[in-house]
Amino acid sequence: MAFDADLLRRYDRPGPRYTSYPTAPQFHEDFGERELREVATASNGDPIPRRLSLYVHVPFCLNPCFYCGCNRIITRDLSRAETYLARLYREIDLTAAMFDRDREVIQLHFGGGTPNFLSPLQLREVVDTLRRQFHLSDSRHREVSIELDPRFISPADVAELATIGFNRASLGVQDFDPLVQAAVNRIQSVEQTLAVIDACRASGFRSINVDLIYGLPKQNPDGFARTLDTIVDVRPDRIAVYGYAHLPDLFKAQKQIDAADLPTAEVKLGLLQLAIEKLTGAGYVYIGMDHFALPDDDLAQAQARGGLHRNFMGYTTHADSDLVGLGVSAISHIGDSFSQNPRDLIRWQAAIDEGRLPVFRGMRLSEDDQLRADLIQRLMCQGEIPITALERRYAVDFKSYFAEELIKLQALVADGLVRIEPERIQATALGRLLLRNIAMCFDNYLDQPVTATPRYSRAI
Amino acid sequence: MAGPLSQPTFPRPNPKLVADDGDTLRFCSTCAFSQACLAEGMDKRSLMDLHVLVEHVGPLHAGDHIFREGDPFDAIAAVRGGTVKTYVVDRDGHEHVLGFHLPGEVIGLNAIDGDHYPCNAVALDTVMLCRFSFPKIAVLAARLPGLQKHLFRLLSRDIGSATLLSGDWTADQRMAAFLIGLSRRLAARGFSPSRFALTMARTDIANYLRLAPETVSRVLRRFQRDGLVSVDRREVELLGREPLESLAAPILRE
Repeated sequence: MAFDADLLRRYDRPGPRYTSYPTAPQFHEDFGERELREVATASNGDPIPRRLSLYVHVPFCLNPCFYCGCNRIITRDLSRAETYLARLYREIDLTAAMFDRDREVIQLHFGGGTPNFLSPLQLREVVDTLRRQFHLSDSRHREVSIELDPRFISPADVAELATIGFNRASLGVQDFDPLVQAAVNRIQSVEQTLAVIDACRASGFRSINVDLIYGLPKQNPDGFARTLDTIVDVRPDRIAVYGYAHLPDLFKAQKQIDAADLPTAEVKLGLLQLAIEKLTGAGYVYIGMDHFALPDDDLAQAQARGGLHRNFMGYTTHADSDLVGLGVSAISHIGDSFSQNPRDLIRWQAAIDEGRLPVFRGMRLSEDDQLRADLIQRLMCQGEIPITALERRYAVDFKSYFAEELIKLQALVADGLVRIEPERIQATALGRLLLRNIAMCFDNYLDQPVTATPRYSRAI
Repeated sequence: MAGPLSQPTFPRPNPKLVADDGDTLRFCSTCAFSQACLAEGMDKRSLMDLHVLVEHVGPLHAGDHIFREGDPFDAIAAVRGGTVKTYVVDRDGHEHVLGFHLPGEVIGLNAIDGDHYPCNAVALDTVMLCRFSFPKIAVLAARLPGLQKHLFRLLSRDIGSATLLSGDWTADQRMAAFLIGLSRRLAARGFSPSRFALTMARTDIANYLRLAPETVSRVLRRFQRDGLVSVDRREVELLGREPLESLAAPILRE
């Protein structure tokens, strides 16, 4: 693929990553516990109620990575896990009671923060608690996944996780270049990383994902190429290559990064190009939005048969599930609603201590929201917008409904990002790198800024 | 609007897709009485002149009660939009669903022989009603033999549908009869017979069909696997009409 640097720079503007549509800034505080209970009850009322996906947020990290934009709490006090878990179990009680018991849990994911801030024993206790309160599927398709910081887990612990039922792991790597690691305050050796990957394989984990980041301070093509080669050699099933978003006003930790150390737009683009070449050259399939997978991985297979979906946990093969978020800052997607727990520990704890569901904001999707969410979802997952299918499903005439959007899209057609065909709008190879720019044309909220602060990272 | 959905799906909160309202001259397209009245040569204007019709009620919202068991009976109502559930609560506090009433169908008929409503009626979604004062419509029926006949027909249909499910049927037969029954009733009012929304909750369907909620889902999942239906949230599409019809035939007997 030929890169037109000028063109890519023009499209490098802030935009949402569309793990949800509408995006979190649109959630509002009128949506509270009562509304959440209503949508949960309604979701039980579907003739075939959706299965459930559970997300558990573990907010603690032992050490601050300067690039991080996640909701996390830095502490070395391991006892904080116990007080957190006590609240989490009460939240699980309150939440599980809302859902009919025959609704299978098909996906369970631990994210953070650093989920392995919890000991294997504590993680076992959480899974056991969930198993008592929810109906965990026995299906071999059930995914139990965890984000791991390879610096703080031993191969023996990994084996222990497998006995709890964990079968997917996602490892943060970012870059092995020591200069970059020093600049982002994350010193992590190749050896300890590969030891964890080996331990995952040896204990029977079905899938291993590795996260890399391009655009970090001090990053350069030589160092990043070595990182890519090292990772490709061990052939993880999935590799995510995220663009670093420098938004120090939004994410405090990033204030520690000297903006002068950041690569220029050209270098950053070169790093992305390098990643694409190396990974596709090594046989990885580009899934879309930063994600690559081996052709026999579930994600690549699901994409081939049109069964790929995207939620707050990233890409997934489990479409027909309601997502239940547990823990501080966790987001739920139940029925046609989004909702989110308080982002600070104090408010989350206070709600639970009062016996309330700790939801602090959310929204119900209108029919227009649902149509656009579906459209963006299909674009992100299949690289195309199926006009006819959407018309049929939502009883709209695409051309007149999206008349303004189609005008906006003309510029993207001229730049070779999309092709408009009678039955579909197709992202070109170039357009698949810029899916969020295409999606932004269909975002009904982008023209209504919530605040003056830039809330979204840049597209590349 | 073009395409396969030009036939309205039922029911959507979108007012564009609710059956069209009548005006002072025309009956609503779902009017339960228009045929009876037109056959008697009474158009809507003459009915208005007789001060009989028509009180439009609504919108009511999901969970709003239209009447409760024991309320004094003074009116019957035709559903113009949405779905109404009728039910009773037994001595042990258990709810028993009597039926679901779609646009064009009449509720309150089973109160005709008494002074009080013998059941509860609740809106399952956004419901629009057409209210008929019963004393007035009774007077009118005396003057219009066709209307009286029509009322009797509605009444007997109401009694008949309640006894359909009391037989010794399998879960598959019950579910097929439920889907085919809904499809026929919707088709009779000009809605799509093959694609519609189930506005009632799974527990209500289960209660009505005398099945466990898990069984409702299990049967539908199997129907879906066998290509008889496609279920997306509350939307159902009937794909294998013939096998469903033959499953339902012993119950529907038509």
